[in-house]
Amino acid sequence: MSLPSIMDGSGLDPEFLKGYTPEQIATAQARYAEGVKVVVDSLKVPVGLTPKDLVWTLNKAKLYRYKPTQPPEARHPIPLLLVYALINKPFIFDLAPGRSFIEYMVDQGFDMYLLDWGIPGPEDQSITFDDYVTEYLSRAVRKVVRVSGADELSMLGYCLGATLATVYVAHYPAAPIRNLILLTAPLDFSSSPEGSMAMWLEEERLDVDRMIGAFGNVPGELIRFWAKLLKPAENFVGAYVGVWKSLGDEQAIRSWQAINRWVEDVIPFAGSAFRQFVVDYVRDNRLIQGQHKVQGQRVDLSNIRAALLNIVAQYDHLVAPAQATSIMDLISSVDKELRVIPSTHVGIMASGRARYKLWPEVVEWLTPRSM
Amino acid sequence: MADEDEKQPSDPFAQMVQFYDDWTKTWAGAASEMVSSKSFADSMAQQLESTLSTTQLMRRQMAEIMEQSLQQMSLPTRKQVLSLAERMTNIEMRLDDMEAKLDKVLDLLKKDE
Repeated sequence: MSLPSIMDGSGLDPEFLKGYTPEQIATAQARYAEGVKVVVDSLKVPVGLTPKDLVWTLNKAKLYRYKPTQPPEARHPIPLLLVYALINKPFIFDLAPGRSFIEYMVDQGFDMYLLDWGIPGPEDQSITFDDYVTEYLSRAVRKVVRVSGADELSMLGYCLGATLATVYVAHYPAAPIRNLILLTAPLDFSSSPEGSMAMWLEEERLDVDRMIGAFGNVPGELIRFWAKLLKPAENFVGAYVGVWKSLGDEQAIRSWQAINRWVEDVIPFAGSAFRQFVVDYVRDNRLIQGQHKVQGQRVDLSNIRAALLNIVAQYDHLVAPAQATSIMDLISSVDKELRVIPSTHVGIMASGRARYKLWPEVVEWLTPRSM
Repeated sequence: MADEDEKQPSDPFAQMVQFYDDWTKTWAGAASEMVSSKSFADSMAQQLESTLSTTQLMRRQMAEIMEQSLQQMSLPTRKQVLSLAERMTNIEMRLDDMEAKLDKVLDLLKKDE
């Protein structure tokens, strides 16, 4: 089947429209205009609407506490801190009312906190990946303990946020972390990089220092392009065909808009943090090999004793399940569980099915451990 | 004409969508394999390297020119402003630590009461 010609240089090709009634053409044009509007408006769609208070700031980082919706007797005493990646914004956890993980968890009686890393500026170029753990995450944890009044807390890390959470819990064995939930955690880069973004980050293909020298912080647009390029047909064409097919389905369109805003709303990766992640974590695979040092101290994954729920997405093309699973044999937690959910890297948290799959599984696991 | 009408969908764009659906079945996987190949990675790396070399050179030259100009006008350079911002963050961290220590002291005082 060959691609039909639509445009002839001055508008819709008459051949393309041949045989259609003026009404059909007008309807198609109206649908086309509506589709374009859906895409354009998606960049302005309101997100992160669950009511919250700002309880702490440091540099660009912000810590939010979400307002409870349940009476005190129905709330769990152990708070839950969400840690997202350094790329993209954390509103993937709070896309829109009815489609928000945070809203769902608050309604289940959890005392919810979100650490938003903020958007790094040129002055943040020298912040390393490990600085985010030692200087920011450690202080945010301290604040959660203070504000909540609890002695311990649960931590959920998603994507690179899960890597940061893992390093934190391993580096601070005495940290008050009772439960650790890792979601699509990129931890082990020992497998072949072919077919993954790691292949583009190999030493012979990317001069990290030159990149930082050229950009300072790595532009979010570049990372988004890399991420999309791994599935070119689906991301560059399929996403918009999906909009066309969903026109008229208000709920599906709203969902697409929120996710598209999140995908497009990229932020830069602080230069030194990017450098350290690529060199130490991806290329040298130091964390899993037990060779990574933070503040001169070896990060020993066997220090992790918190109850662990490790969730991987079966069809994740950004973080292959193999990258996330090997940690299970390296930690000391007695209470540990690996779950594989048939979903994708983003879909696992943000698809319509997440509300009926991931979210209830997190609640079912966390509730008895939050008493 | 009647036959044509029966075959033709009411939406002119439907054939585009149909084309994509058919194309996806056969070529989406191939496209993913292509971008995952070493030859594609090498090609992309070459293009990126070329862009980075040019950008880095321009950025360095611009920075030098700007720094000289700003110094001549007795204005702080970008480097100095960034250094100031870093120092402010360090101060913020110290304040945060002091606040945490103060909280502990207050807790102890409350216990004593």
